[in-house]
Amino acid sequence: MDVYLYLERDSAVHRMDPRSKLFVLLMVFAVAVLCNHPLPLLVLLVLVLAVGQVARVLGNLRRIWVMLATIGVLSTVIWSFWAGGRTRLAGPVELEAFLYGLATGLKLDTMIIAGMIFLSTTRNEEITAGLIKLGTPFAVSFAFSTALRLVPTFIGASVTVIQAQKSRGLDVSSGGFFSRVKKQLPMLVPVFVCAIRGTNQLAMALESKGFGAQRERTYYLEIGLGRLDYAAMVVSAALLGLTVYLKVRGWLEIPGLIR
Amino acid sequence: MPQAVVADAVRFQYKDQSSWALDGIDLTLAEGEFAVIMGPSGAGKSTFCCTLNGLIPHFLRGRFEGRVTVLGKDTRQFRVSQLARDVGLVFQDFETQLFSTNVELEVAFGPENFGLPRAEIASRVREALSTVRLAGMERRSPTTLSGGQKQRLAIASVLSLAPRIVCMDEPTTDLDPVGKHEVFEAAARLRATRDVTMVIVEHETEEALGADRIVLMQGGRVTGDGPPRQVLADADALESAGIQPLDVVRLFRQLGEDRVPFTVDEALELMRARGWRLDGAAYARLVAQKRPPACGDPIIEVEGLRHRYASGVAALDGVDLTVREGEFVAVVGQNGSGKTTLVKHFNGLLLPTAGRVVVGGRDTRRAGVLELSKLVGYVFQNPDHQIFADTVFDEVAFGPRNFGVPPGEITRRVREALAAVGLSGYEQADPFALTKGERQRVAVASVLATQPRVIVLDEPTTGLDYREQRGMMQLIKKLNEDGHTIIVVTHTMWVVAEYAHRVVVMKDGRIMFDGPTREVFSHEEELTQAFLRPPQIVRLGNRLGHPLLTVEEARACLTKGGQGGGRLSLP
Repeated sequence: MDVYLYLERDSAVHRMDPRSKLFVLLMVFAVAVLCNHPLPLLVLLVLVLAVGQVARVLGNLRRIWVMLATIGVLSTVIWSFWAGGRTRLAGPVELEAFLYGLATGLKLDTMIIAGMIFLSTTRNEEITAGLIKLGTPFAVSFAFSTALRLVPTFIGASVTVIQAQKSRGLDVSSGGFFSRVKKQLPMLVPVFVCAIRGTNQLAMALESKGFGAQRERTYYLEIGLGRLDYAAMVVSAALLGLTVYLKVRGWLEIPGLIR
Repeated sequence: MPQAVVADAVRFQYKDQSSWALDGIDLTLAEGEFAVIMGPSGAGKSTFCCTLNGLIPHFLRGRFEGRVTVLGKDTRQFRVSQLARDVGLVFQDFETQLFSTNVELEVAFGPENFGLPRAEIASRVREALSTVRLAGMERRSPTTLSGGQKQRLAIASVLSLAPRIVCMDEPTTDLDPVGKHEVFEAAARLRATRDVTMVIVEHETEEALGADRIVLMQGGRVTGDGPPRQVLADADALESAGIQPLDVVRLFRQLGEDRVPFTVDEALELMRARGWRLDGAAYARLVAQKRPPACGDPIIEVEGLRHRYASGVAALDGVDLTVREGEFVAVVGQNGSGKTTLVKHFNGLLLPTAGRVVVGGRDTRRAGVLELSKLVGYVFQNPDHQIFADTVFDEVAFGPRNFGVPPGEITRRVREALAAVGLSGYEQADPFALTKGERQRVAVASVLATQPRVIVLDEPTTGLDYREQRGMMQLIKKLNEDGHTIIVVTHTMWVVAEYAHRVVVMKDGRIMFDGPTREVFSHEEELTQAFLRPPQIVRLGNRLGHPLLTVEEARACLTKGGQGGGRLSLP
């Protein structure tokens, strides 16, 4: 099973510096957090999707659409009932509450999609390289990216362990709370044993390839800020500026919403 | 000129262990030499590999005595990372030694650590990748590579450091036959293009023929050392050391010949010279006598099965198969051909995307894993993916307890299951302290105790030495004779030849061949296309025009002189 999101494509987005992509991602997050009305969020989502389209990585949406749909529907439904407003829509639901639920769903989905596009267009090593350029020590950056790298390995091992125990009649979905907790043991022990063994072997492989042999190290992967990087950072910062302005003017809220 | 490796009275005892893993190793390897190390599990082969680049004594803790010198450097005086430029070490498990997101960066990692200039790294990456034939895959993610490609990438990732000594610890154990072959080819190319000293730990006797020297290890000591043809000629000594002798050597020893061949071609030549021929009448008798036993009713029926993973990969593309009660079926094929995906449908771990699977009369879509598992036991490849209990008893009792078997009955079943796998008296042992072979047996016992009618075993012999493999297969054979239907997924071709009644060959998600073992193995050329190579004795039989499955069969059919019903067809 492959849980890496990165997709190898030759696109302008892929060629951008990880630092500028990280910056744009943070700007998108900030804008999304500030907006409470579905309309500006919809505009933001369209912009984000356009970037994904340029990068040709929207195929990854297939892998997370269930999660996106669940979040969208749940937020809309929950807030529709939870919040209140002035205009009755249907039954106990008011229009303002419905719009707010929609906005919350859009907000979360936009942030997830933006994150997905970042991970789909940025290699693990680029994130490491970016962190190093931002002043993080190599060992720390490497540990971070290795942790990312080990996630799929552990998920793979967990899937096998669960299948092996299910084949021996382990039924986790039945029984009370304590019996369910007890049933986790047959799954956790093998996963931990495999994880410890795997990490140990990885450490041996790293040592054997000269990890930490000397203080100065080459970074084969070259990253650098180009014109597009600066442009993207300026545009996204301007977008945030505009959002803050509109927020202060109160245009990003839903009038009449009672939370 | 300094020797490449000098091991001088080397002893090593792992922390918290009472016996010596290495117990006085004296070994010298000249520069440019190619040595293959062979020996049973627990002989200390991997431990020895780890002494070559200083992982022992620097990384793996324990008591270290004696001295290892590589290219004149005492390994005690240098750190592992410093020795990395002299000694490249490749491990058995390729999954845990690859960590980059693309092939190029994986290979660049070593030179990066030594601060080489970018241009130099680029040229080293290119050269290393071309040596292992992965050029053009620079941008691929290692996770998308096949097993053989991954292991070759692991090799390239140490080659980029340009080490003068390359040591590979069982590089082909986890690979299918084609993957094994690719790795040996890469090793040969490496030796042809660079001046390296090479040490490979290997179980495949046939591949060891190409070495300059074979070193036998047992119990932490060197027990044999010499040119391959000298070491491999002594079939009995190999067998008692837990190593599989070459089929043709065993055959000619049994025929009472003083000279032995090492390859199929040599065997044919020697047969001609000494007047051995295949007796057609004897062969006909053999085939009649070894006909697979009659089988019962269908127990697993697969119709038009397709399976597509969530990632979009179509793993099975229209499979039809009927397994009858009492059969012993081997499912073979290259990695990724769909073998494991297929058998995971038999107890409902996977459900069909299209088509249907009926087990014991029930559609797997309507019966859960829990229910199907009572009928079909599944032994996973790696016992470490299931062992969790403090005692062997609890581990084996886990299944029956889940199925609600009463306590008295459980005790009886555990006793019987442990007796069947030859682990009687191990009830209170800690399963984590057992050897890999023993843990594999515990895993089988734990499935056996649930008393399934069908037992699926995924790669039951991988990671075991020859003696353990034989023990495991004898056990499975006995289970089959006791009435269990057996389905084995395996890469080990001699296991298929000697034990399976029927072979299902998978290729690209479809069944390519399905028939009696003897018949399937006679299609040698087509099997090669599915990247499978029958064992040496089968290939010899095919060249004689009659597929033979074991050395004993060959012995029974060969006669000297006279005119029989059969003809020896020689090239």
